[in-house]
Amino acid sequence: MESQEPTVSKRQLGIALALTGTIGFGAILAIDIVDVGRPGGIGPMQSLALVIMAATAIVGLTLMPLGDAPA
Amino acid sequence: MSGATRRAYVLLMTAASAALLFSFLVYILFAANLARFPYDYDQGEGFEVHDSVLFSRGALPYRDTETYPFYASNYPPLFHMMAAPFVWLFGPAYWYGRLLGFLGSLVSAAAIAYAVYRDGTRHKWIAALSGLAFLSSNFVYHIGPLFRQHTMMVTFETLAVVALAGAVPRRDKRGIALGLALLLCAGYTKQLAAITALAAIAWMFIRQPARAWTWTLGFALVGAAIFLWLNIASGGQWWNQAIVANVNVFMVEQALGLFNLWFKLHGFLLIPAALLFVYELYLERLSLYSIWLVAAALLGGIASGTWGAGDSYFVTSVAAACILSGIFFSRSLAGAWRFPRALRFNPSSKLTIAAALMIPLVYLGYARATLKMPTDGAFRPLAAVLGVEGNVRETFFDSATFKVGGYARIGYFLTSADWAAGAEIVELIQASDKPVLSEEAGFTLAAGRDVVTNPTQLRNLERAGLFKGEQLLAMIERQEFGLIVLRALFYPPSVLGAIGRRYEHTQTIHMNGFDYIILYPKALDEG
Repeated sequence: MESQEPTVSKRQLGIALALTGTIGFGAILAIDIVDVGRPGGIGPMQSLALVIMAATAIVGLTLMPLGDAPA
Repeated sequence: MSGATRRAYVLLMTAASAALLFSFLVYILFAANLARFPYDYDQGEGFEVHDSVLFSRGALPYRDTETYPFYASNYPPLFHMMAAPFVWLFGPAYWYGRLLGFLGSLVSAAAIAYAVYRDGTRHKWIAALSGLAFLSSNFVYHIGPLFRQHTMMVTFETLAVVALAGAVPRRDKRGIALGLALLLCAGYTKQLAAITALAAIAWMFIRQPARAWTWTLGFALVGAAIFLWLNIASGGQWWNQAIVANVNVFMVEQALGLFNLWFKLHGFLLIPAALLFVYELYLERLSLYSIWLVAAALLGGIASGTWGAGDSYFVTSVAAACILSGIFFSRSLAGAWRFPRALRFNPSSKLTIAAALMIPLVYLGYARATLKMPTDGAFRPLAAVLGVEGNVRETFFDSATFKVGGYARIGYFLTSADWAAGAEIVELIQASDKPVLSEEAGFTLAAGRDVVTNPTQLRNLERAGLFKGEQLLAMIERQEFGLIVLRALFYPPSVLGAIGRRYEHTQTIHMNGFDYIILYPKALDEG
């Protein structure tokens, strides 16, 4: 029954994750550019967030070739 | 599976079951030991008793803290509303809230077992071990038997996720409505359930985007209507007390330490859970359980680093890991994997045999990783056999130790000395004919006095610029409190300063591993 309904494909999910990861990665780095007064450069939580965003983008990229298979 | 393999499998599974049942026994004994203790075991329980008392009178605990008794709560109402009928029957007490929490954890475990049975390969033994694994977690052990709303939030979350995971693929409207209603219950038990709600809605959008809009709109409207009603009924205090005052300082070291501890204790389940997540991501459809685990682990884990948070913030992710690992194990035993031809293993029966021997060993490893037990009395011989000695207390072993910031330093059993120490503080309060300022509500409740202030709430409000405390400070300056009982010094600096000027430390009473500081008014120089 569910298969007849429109659903998100692995490629669409991949695109969404790749965009989220890339934009998130840039935004986290941008904190140091926008908020120049922050001490200490890239902090530990910022590093963790960068790793998570990078991983999200990579997972997204690997999903994109899987095409129309339902996510 | 050959006869020899089958026998080895049954033997190992029996050993794993015995290990997890032992953990369950310790949990029951701890809950029973704690249930009747009439004071705070974990600081803040008494304020949840008081919230229940207020609800039993038809009053909201979201109040103006500038006027006597300067009390407000930052917790949503549902858990305390559930406890309110017990207040009518038994008066203010801790036991029923602790019982509700404990029973809630059992319901969560049963829901986990049911999910593994239904969405795995209907393997009863693995399903039962998955439920027991949840109860074996050090984090669940800590929070389960307390008068705390957190466990009930996890119960509602787990029931909601299991209901939605079954109902959404079948387009079962009643099931979906029930799941979303349970999510609302979770959110109005504790705000942290917003993470599970996000995960559930994201999954619904992935599965059925068009229908998800309708359901999400209805869910949001009902949630917002309750929110607005609470805010109007409390004269705007709901927003100040439950939302604004909940924003707190973030401690990176605490979050990272708890992430590390979470993996050390639960890695045996997290690795198979992660493998199932990867399998679903690339070769099958993503389940709600997978998205729930990722969201609860990442966002709940990060939230655990806020001041006042702790290991309990990982309990939701532990529930998700128990379900996913259970499904992974039951599918491995049944050989129920669908790999593309290039990745297909031959013969797959060897994998099933390996799984049959590995899975019970994984549960045994998990039981050892999460071991906590008394080391005295009837437990002494077993502790000697296991080579376990008291490490967090002389007579209690906790595999997590008490070294990580944010890991609650509780779990040991109470003694008669703790009861006597609590009674001594209550006697001091009863001997005074003036109001008493106590950092824990249990003593004033037991003495039949007003519960005055909620120190952490005042601290949070002051940080948010929402507490001036002129009337409270004036009362302290005029020495209108007969005595003051402090423990962790959670009051705002202005209040602690006034106390230091007008009251003096006369006595220290040791209870439950903590020093309670008793202060009386200083003799003032009238000149």
